Amino acid sequence: MFSRLNIRIGFFLAKRQIKRSNPWTTILIVFVMFFTFLNLVVVSGILVGLIQGAVDAVRTHYTSDVIVSNLNDKSYIENSPEVIQIIKSLPEVQAVSARYLDGGTVEANYKTRTDLTEKPNTAAATITGIDPIAENNVTDLSKFIVEGEYLKPGDYDQVLLGAYLDKKYMAIDSPGFSTLHDVSPGTKIRMNVNGVEREVTIKGIIKAKVDELSMRVYMVDSQLRSIIGRSDLNVSEISIKLKPGSDPNLVRDILKQNGIDKVAKVQTFADAEPKFIKDMIDTFALLGNMLSSIGLVVASITIFIVIFINAITRRKFIGILKGIGISEQAIEVSYILQSFFYAFCGSVVGVFVLYAILQPAIAAHPIDFPFSDGILVAPIGGTMLRIGLLMITTIIAGFIPARLVVRKNTLDSILGRK
Amino acid sequence: MIEIKKLTKSFKDGENETQVLKGIDFRAETGEFIAIMGRSGAGKSTFLYQMSLLDEPTTGEIIINDKDTFKMSIEEKTLFRLKELGYVFQDYALLPEMTALENVALPLLMQNISEKKAYEESTKALVRVGLEKRLNSLPSKLSGGEQQRVSIARAIAHHPKILFADEPTANLDNESSRVVMEFFKELHKGGQTIIMVTHEHEYSKFAEQIVHLDDGKIIKIEKN
Repeated sequence: MFSRLNIRIGFFLAKRQIKRSNPWTTILIVFVMFFTFLNLVVVSGILVGLIQGAVDAVRTHYTSDVIVSNLNDKSYIENSPEVIQIIKSLPEVQAVSARYLDGGTVEANYKTRTDLTEKPNTAAATITGIDPIAENNVTDLSKFIVEGEYLKPGDYDQVLLGAYLDKKYMAIDSPGFSTLHDVSPGTKIRMNVNGVEREVTIKGIIKAKVDELSMRVYMVDSQLRSIIGRSDLNVSEISIKLKPGSDPNLVRDILKQNGIDKVAKVQTFADAEPKFIKDMIDTFALLGNMLSSIGLVVASITIFIVIFINAITRRKFIGILKGIGISEQAIEVSYILQSFFYAFCGSVVGVFVLYAILQPAIAAHPIDFPFSDGILVAPIGGTMLRIGLLMITTIIAGFIPARLVVRKNTLDSILGRK
Repeated sequence: MIEIKKLTKSFKDGENETQVLKGIDFRAETGEFIAIMGRSGAGKSTFLYQMSLLDEPTTGEIIINDKDTFKMSIEEKTLFRLKELGYVFQDYALLPEMTALENVALPLLMQNISEKKAYEESTKALVRVGLEKRLNSLPSKLSGGEQQRVSIARAIAHHPKILFADEPTANLDNESSRVVMEFFKELHKGGQTIIMVTHEHEYSKFAEQIVHLDDGKIIKIEKN
């Protein structure tokens, strides 16, 4: 059917039709195809990016590339100093932050509470002891200070309060969840860890879209160590930032080979992702594909209408072409090539806008979703697949109306008879 | 040579059937110039369309150069039209997005002739009809007479066995009509078989035979 000769003549016809058609009509059709392309790629890319943004944030600001944490039956990592020494000796490692963790409560407004039968203003929190400088080197924690200041190594009896523990930022009043009210930097709060009570001052408020950061109370590690009596220097969590280009899986395996997995869980950032996050990524990708499918149908209908109108209005000329001996297949090829041209131009413009403008712009200024900074995920492979789908759909949508018009009686077409 | 036997053509409009051609027998020899005349509605254009394989007759036989066209598939007829026949339409039937040269070259390209050769042959045909200065003009930039000459150039560029012309002067002024008819006369002198429908008696005189049609039948054949 599509012999070389038919393709040659189809190309000859299509080229001249496009070249001498109204440029504004061509621009409009290409514009429609461009938006179809964006619909195909960007909608699913944003949906996946919404979750990917959250995953990336957890990696960058919490787990880092590799995280070593206590086993389920322990509250700390045994022989932590030795473990940290092994970690630091690896050439791939750029920075390490070790954290002491313990459950506790914080209480505010205890000085102004006159009626002791009233419920105290307390909130449960994970009390986290950090080396402020090391932590900042690994997770850039100071960036999330929204009020007050970040901790310094000598800041005793001072804490950073996670925003989810402050009613001002977390105005949720649900059973089993309470927050502190009327607190801000400078406010004194009472902290209770393992029965040890300490009055501390809020130095700053930490607000991040990574829940683990916003749910914690941070203090200098040496002070928490003394409060919880961890004189063995055993920590609960070690986040490891690797040098650019290093493979987290390789480092994880090296640590396991060194026997660290016997005293701690050794995970890459991906291993540490909760399963529901992975399920959410798949779910959003599926949703994106469903929306893309609708976009594909819209694109095919658009091209069908464009080609059908084009072919119907040119019915007389199609009749003339057939009359002078041009094969039906060559005429059909000309319409297929026109459809291909529109889809190709739309995709080229789309690829340019996607990779030269949208993706860098969104990466620089992520979309501020309530629970993540959404990025645009558009891997080249996926984009090419979608372009391929768009081309195939468009070619079919261009061929069908052309076939419908071309198969009509030659003389009826020339004379405009029904 | 064209031989037509018992040719009929009917059109259906719902329950009604109108017979336009009522059993025509006709023969034209190679190299003849034949004019088909008749009053409006006599069936002359319908007769030409059947002969030139642009339409499907209801019954009858059309044999062109010993080939029974009834046995041909649609694809074979298309190929036959491309190689053996040439057409000049009343309204020129040029493709508006193509230049004069491209309009003429298209059927040649469809015959798998190289682009260079096709353009050479097309240029020759256009020079022959006196349009050497309008090769790259779009039809919209040409006068009616010039457009008809492009149409003739397209019809003769591939040296067809038979040239069909449907009222080629109907949309032209006297001067342009005369130029077209003179050109037909010249082609005929060169041995070209021409079958032309016209309602203008003045131009039928250019033909060597005039076939008069009325009510779907040949009523008279006149020799000039």
